[in-house]
Amino acid sequence: MQVASSTAAERLHLSSFGHAYLGLGAVLIAVLFYLGLAAQITQSSYDIARLQDQQRQLVAEQDQLRYQEVTLHAPAQVQQQAAQSGMQRVVPSGYVAGQPVAIDLTAPVGATAGDTTPLWARAVAAVINTVGGTRDVLAASR
Amino acid sequence: MAVGVRGRAPRLERVGSTRLRILSMVLVALCLAGMVWSRLAYWQVARHGQLGMQAQAQYREVVELPAIRGAIFDRNLTQLVVNTTVYSAFVSPDQVPAAWRQRVAGALVSVLGADQATVTTILASPAKFAYISPRRFPKDKADKLSALKLPGVGLEPETQRSYLPGISPGTTLASNLLGFVNYNGDGQYGLEAYYQKMLAGTSGYISSYRDLANREIVLGSHTHQDPVNGSDLVLSLDANVQYAAEQALADGVKKDNAESGSVLIMDPTTGGIVAWADYPSYNANDFVHTDTALFKDNVSSYVYEPGSVMKVVTLAGAMNSGAITPSTVINDPGYLNVGGYRIYDWDRRNHGNIDYTYVLEHSLNVGAMKAMQAEGHDAFYSYLQGFGLTKASGIDVAGETSVPPPASGQMADAQYATSAFGQGIDVNMVQMLSAVNVIANGGKYAPPHVVERVGTQINPLILQQQRQVISPAAAAQMTTMMEAVVQHGSGYTSVVHGFALDQTAKTGTSQIPVNGQYTQDVWASFVGFLPAQHPRFTMLVVVRKPHAPGSDRDWTLNDGYITAGPIWQKIAQAMVIDWHITPDPQ
Repeated sequence: MQVASSTAAERLHLSSFGHAYLGLGAVLIAVLFYLGLAAQITQSSYDIARLQDQQRQLVAEQDQLRYQEVTLHAPAQVQQQAAQSGMQRVVPSGYVAGQPVAIDLTAPVGATAGDTTPLWARAVAAVINTVGGTRDVLAASR
Repeated sequence: MAVGVRGRAPRLERVGSTRLRILSMVLVALCLAGMVWSRLAYWQVARHGQLGMQAQAQYREVVELPAIRGAIFDRNLTQLVVNTTVYSAFVSPDQVPAAWRQRVAGALVSVLGADQATVTTILASPAKFAYISPRRFPKDKADKLSALKLPGVGLEPETQRSYLPGISPGTTLASNLLGFVNYNGDGQYGLEAYYQKMLAGTSGYISSYRDLANREIVLGSHTHQDPVNGSDLVLSLDANVQYAAEQALADGVKKDNAESGSVLIMDPTTGGIVAWADYPSYNANDFVHTDTALFKDNVSSYVYEPGSVMKVVTLAGAMNSGAITPSTVINDPGYLNVGGYRIYDWDRRNHGNIDYTYVLEHSLNVGAMKAMQAEGHDAFYSYLQGFGLTKASGIDVAGETSVPPPASGQMADAQYATSAFGQGIDVNMVQMLSAVNVIANGGKYAPPHVVERVGTQINPLILQQQRQVISPAAAAQMTTMMEAVVQHGSGYTSVVHGFALDQTAKTGTSQIPVNGQYTQDVWASFVGFLPAQHPRFTMLVVVRKPHAPGSDRDWTLNDGYITAGPIWQKIAQAMVIDWHITPDPQ
């Protein structure tokens, strides 16, 4: 057993060149990983720059549209459109003099007004509302 | 021994000479190394800062992040100014191959409308950089140009303020009030100049790295400071009323063959400016090609003698001090001798015994002078101060001009007399309207202002307690007298349909002095408020140097009630409809 295990250890035991290759391989992998990451980051930053440029373009278009919108509501434009449609501003022909009306908010509330709905209408409503679904009307009439 | 001695001596010599050689070589090497080291120390220590900066300049870039300039809104939040992106084209002539010059020039001429000869000259020049005129064109042209992929041609985006169109293609709305912003982003004239700091905000910056192709490496280490955008302004202005005012003013000035005219409308209770119109005006979107004389605002930057409009101030002060009442009777023979001068009424007629309501209705100078004399010089002067006519109004618009009268002790009797009816005293329109507005505002002086809010902050002027100049009773008396001017006097030209019994007015016509001599040219003005008892607005119209048809034979055809009155009426009529104003029941 001892002999067999030592043989296996010897097989796994790497020569100095093996160590060097292993080290170089690890470094190479690390370098490749770093380069890949750096390339990815650089690509991302270019994408961001491109998107920023697109955003600037869109903001410029938005500003232009806002100005067009504001101009559409400008008095000059409204008047021009109205004139093209054949509309014109007219002076009111006259004012009706208003009579002041005094409302006494402290006056006592009088009796509730009687129901002026004709009797036949009430009877019909009673039947319809019993059968149908417009009970609120009947309730309101009371 | 001798052999031995002989044998050792040359070795010693060799050893000595070898050491000497080594030493000398070391010294030489040290000298050389010292020179290199010292040179290295010079570059790396002494010049470290400068070289470091040069290196940084190659791969680092500090980009300014411009703050967005605040917008300007009217009282109904209609946007009056919009920031838009425009573009300027530039060329690097050394980057344009000779074979391409013709094509590049042709493209710039066809897309931008540039001058062919100028572009050709620029392209043939050894310059490294040159802008192509016209600059600041819209995005659609920029898109066309960039699609052509012309060598050596670049586009530079810039922010521009775009203002609403005015009454004609050559004007923009409220240009004299708003001003404009130049290519450097500095506000010029009007509100743009006065509120420059608040509108402009503070720029930020980003410091980032660039690769060999000069592309930005966004994820590189960088420092960054956000810009602080400018504050928006909300004005007391009403864009619809402003437009109506500009239109009526332009029509009136043209009809009367006048040199210019201005309209100022105020909210009586707050002092907020509702409309501020000048004619002729200009196109703020094309300020580069505008005559600079048009930039001047005649409302606040121009002083004039207000003429008979001043009688409102004189009589109101005299009534408030108890020196006169509307029914006080005086004798008016048509002139008054003051300080060695004989000063006449405008019609030079003997009016006999009249009361002060009649004086105002018929705008009689003698009555105004007698009212001033009745209250005394000191009281009259203190009322001039109270009504705000002895100093600038302090309105929040750049470039206000005022000419204060001399100190009370330095004014001659004749100057007091002429000041009582508005000659020999200089005011600007803001001062004069604010003074008359005291009557509309129940005797209180409302500080004039244009901006209601800066960002979320209310203009402190609005929150200030208003100064009581005259009593509400005196203001009410003067209101009644001014109503009489419309009903029985020269204010009839301003009657707004339905308001004949519920509006006030006072006309003014003052001769313009040139080199100390009064000429036949006049400032014609008209002031009034409506409805009389519950005013919604106070308005002053001034027409400068009108030459109405027939005025060469009869100069009174240039009077305020004939020239400025109809303009006032037209604008008031539009406001009555727009603001749904109804007369008070009589």
